[in-house]
Amino acid sequence: MSDWTRSRQREAHNSEHKKSHGMSRWSQCRKRGVDGSLRADKEADGSDGGNGVHSDGHSDNRHASFTTPESTGPVSRCGRRDDWGSQVDDDEMRRDVQRDMHRYRRRILGTEGTQRERKASSGSSGSCDSRDGENMETDESVLLRRQKQINYGKNTLAYDRYVKEVPKHMRQPGVHPKTPNKFRKYSRRSWDQQIKLWKVKLHAWDPPTADSQDKGLDNIDELGLDDVMDIELDFPTLSDSESAPASLTTRNHSLEDEDCMGTPVKVQKTDTTTEPEIA
Amino acid sequence: MDNSTDDYKIQSFDLDTQMLLKTALKDPSSVNLEKVSSIIMDQSLKDQVFSKEAGRICYTIVQAEAKQSNGNVFRRNLLNRLQQEFKDREETRRRSLQEWVCYVTFICNIFDYLKVNNMPMVALVHPVFDCLIRLAQPDALMNEEEVDCLVLQLHRIGEQLEKVNNQRMDELFFLLRDGFLLQEGLTSMARLLLLEILEFRAGGWMLSSTAHKYYYSEIAD
Repeated sequence: MSDWTRSRQREAHNSEHKKSHGMSRWSQCRKRGVDGSLRADKEADGSDGGNGVHSDGHSDNRHASFTTPESTGPVSRCGRRDDWGSQVDDDEMRRDVQRDMHRYRRRILGTEGTQRERKASSGSSGSCDSRDGENMETDESVLLRRQKQINYGKNTLAYDRYVKEVPKHMRQPGVHPKTPNKFRKYSRRSWDQQIKLWKVKLHAWDPPTADSQDKGLDNIDELGLDDVMDIELDFPTLSDSESAPASLTTRNHSLEDEDCMGTPVKVQKTDTTTEPEIA
Repeated sequence: MDNSTDDYKIQSFDLDTQMLLKTALKDPSSVNLEKVSSIIMDQSLKDQVFSKEAGRICYTIVQAEAKQSNGNVFRRNLLNRLQQEFKDREETRRRSLQEWVCYVTFICNIFDYLKVNNMPMVALVHPVFDCLIRLAQPDALMNEEEVDCLVLQLHRIGEQLEKVNNQRMDELFFLLRDGFLLQEGLTSMARLLLLEILEFRAGGWMLSSTAHKYYYSEIAD
């Protein structure tokens, strides 16, 4: 990056760039010869921040991981990313997702370690199905898109009511809405369907009238963690060797949404197809 | 953080506004947080004392809102307003040095107080550097008010800023050294402040005790 030369040019033209007064005249002429080498490594970074558009300069970095134009509803409102508010929101969500991912991965490894003898994580990839760490969804843009959809569903009165009225240990698979597991590999279609079904189920807890503003606010900040635990606890059940049938049968108990069955089946398909690639 | 609201320096507001702010601290979802953010911003631009500590009240409101409703309306509005003012900063500086200095103080204070998962907000890093580098330009160094502001901000958040982007910190310090050494017409106070901050960073964002004695006993005289 020839930021060095560029700033020289800018200096020469005393140009219209705002950044032209980024360097003083003196530092320009004086330090060029003296410690050019020291400067050279500074240029790399100087170029991203030092030049041109300030806030946009680094929001570019973010864009790379945020390329989710296909999304429909929830994501669209995060579409404008050049404002600081959204940048920080995005930043926060990204860090949350990364944190969740670490926890989840730890959990996977822990579970597998206890449930079967694993010599090395690499060795197990063939025999292991979707629960294997390597079959975990790690694409940040996908995870963020999913997280946004989940947040959208959770940011409802119905969700607050649900969480308050049905304690975790009372929740039954197939009967109660369960947040889709964003770390599992799903096709786009499958995932969107799961989200849709989840939201439909949550609607059962819609407030009867508009007056239920006084929800149990104290619980709310626990939700984030709670939900992670949800996923995590769910995990061991699924990691029996015939996980797919197991999860299918549990879902079968639910009468109300037979559509749901479609989802796990698809999942299983996805998993089996991805397996050979990895093995 | 349930101390009396004195801590938030809101006495200078009229009574209605004080009430609004107090409510925002306790029950953020019951008030118009966009309005609250712009009240805080406006006051920060007018009141230098407030701008130095406004980050605290903002931090508390952000926490309260997140806890109460998992929301971030206040933060989003605050940051966007901050950005809007940032775009107009040259204009602001031309119009009123005091307001400009208040702006820089405020944005730095927000940078200091509001964190995302305990990390500085990336979106503010370059803007904050832009402001500080603006303060280090020759014309700004001629105003003690601006030098004072610059040095204060560096004392407070210099170390954090350097951690997130030390190249830009170097860029800033090249300007400061140049200003200190070569700029004609600087007041001796401005030079003193610059020298102190140069030593401060050189000492790993600390002053040695002798340096401390030197700078602070001299100023006290």
